[in-house]
Amino acid sequence: MAEFEPRIVGFLCNWCTYAGADLAGTSRMQYPPNMRPIRVMCSGSVDSVYILRALLEGADGVFIGGCHPGDCHYVSGNYKARRRMVAFKSILRSVGLDQDRVWLRWISAAEGRKFADTVTEMTRAIADKGPSEFRELWEV
Amino acid sequence: MAVSGMLKVKDKNPEATLEELLAGWLTQGKLSAILVPVLAKSGAAGAALVSDADRIAGTAPLLPAMAVNAASVVRDIAKLRSEGTKVGVLLRPCEMRAVVELIKLRQVLADNLVLVGIDCPGTYKAAGFRDVAGTDSDFDNRHVREQQNYYDNPNLRTACQVCEHPKPMVYDLEIGFLGLDPDKELWLDGATDKGAALLEGVELAAGEEPGQMQEYLKELAARRKNKAETRIKELDEAAMGPENLTRYFADCLNCHNCMRVCPVCYCRECFFDSENFQRRLDEHVRVSKRKGLTRMPSETLLFHLTRMNHMMTSCVACGICEDSCPAGIALLPLFKKVSGNVQAEFGYLSGRSLDEELPLVGFREDEFTAIGEG
Repeated sequence: MAEFEPRIVGFLCNWCTYAGADLAGTSRMQYPPNMRPIRVMCSGSVDSVYILRALLEGADGVFIGGCHPGDCHYVSGNYKARRRMVAFKSILRSVGLDQDRVWLRWISAAEGRKFADTVTEMTRAIADKGPSEFRELWEV
Repeated sequence: MAVSGMLKVKDKNPEATLEELLAGWLTQGKLSAILVPVLAKSGAAGAALVSDADRIAGTAPLLPAMAVNAASVVRDIAKLRSEGTKVGVLLRPCEMRAVVELIKLRQVLADNLVLVGIDCPGTYKAAGFRDVAGTDSDFDNRHVREQQNYYDNPNLRTACQVCEHPKPMVYDLEIGFLGLDPDKELWLDGATDKGAALLEGVELAAGEEPGQMQEYLKELAARRKNKAETRIKELDEAAMGPENLTRYFADCLNCHNCMRVCPVCYCRECFFDSENFQRRLDEHVRVSKRKGLTRMPSETLLFHLTRMNHMMTSCVACGICEDSCPAGIALLPLFKKVSGNVQAEFGYLSGRSLDEELPLVGFREDEFTAIGEG
């Protein structure tokens, strides 16, 4: 059997984490190619429906990257994302879904290294967990 | 100025006594109309917006049957700004809590409303209520008279069986009877100017809220809480997870009734009905290729989990979603459990106060600081 390669869907804020990812790329930093990045305007704009849809369609992990607290381009989007994540994870726990497959991290445009390291760390963590049960479960 | 006291009940008929009180508000011009529960001749249990005092006699302020959460009705009639009219809305505690959430969500304008909350020992499902009540014209009175029987009556709606909030928390005027002898007296509490205005000229025996009301509530809340916790424990033990969760919702027809009847699921156009959610045929095929097959109708579990995310902070666990489910999915215990957990994260209780900020609207810089830091 081929080695398990995690599929991670990443929602990256345009102003910070996406720019951080860009910096990691232009700086030729090496990190696993397991994350499929999607550029969004703000971590606060990532509705739970998009995270859930990725998970139910079989993504092994979902990553959301935003600006550090206090640095949001829209002043408070990341603070709202943070509260939404509290509610979201509470719901995942309540229905017995694995909350550790969903990561929210603050990564600035200057933190190319942190972006590469975080993707590496998450890819490892998800690889250790193994594939999502929803990969096979089609009756959702 | 707040006004409160006991209203004497005439002829051991609390419902008729209330009808007289309500009719008075209309004849004296204190209200232009009032939303009251009714049991229509057809057998339909619902509510009516009554503007003619003579028609109050045909209503049923104590009706122990629930067809819809009347907060949905209030949302429908009191969304737009209106001038020169004052409408009373007689609401059960869970309906009032939902209205409080809708006011905070800016879906109900309360300026022209007078919120009249009424105690509730529990309700029956509207469907089939005719058979329960039979031809007993005193059924409503009997229901409030025999309130001790409803601590844990298995014939009540499942939500009512585990309801810990049988008394309105926010109101202009409360009509209370839990813990009292409703054949003798009703407790009226006009907590605001609007509420007190309705009590002007009404003969009340002044006094404090009687202690036995709190005693009764404590006992009822304790028993129901116990029962609710048992239900939730059963769910916790089932542990859910992908397989169990899928099984839980396996009978879902994707009709979205649960969303349509939900008082706090207020979007004019649901995200799931929007263009955003339409996929082209080729996109459906692309999705199908991921697992080799896609269940149709698709994304029913996504619908339920997303709905949870969108309305859990405002859910009042009224259970009207469960009543409306044609597939008989036990939505209430799950939604009660999840909403309880989510609201606890923020120290919030839906419908408890107009001043408590909605959890997903506000934020503080110094909270939940571990999140996002890895």
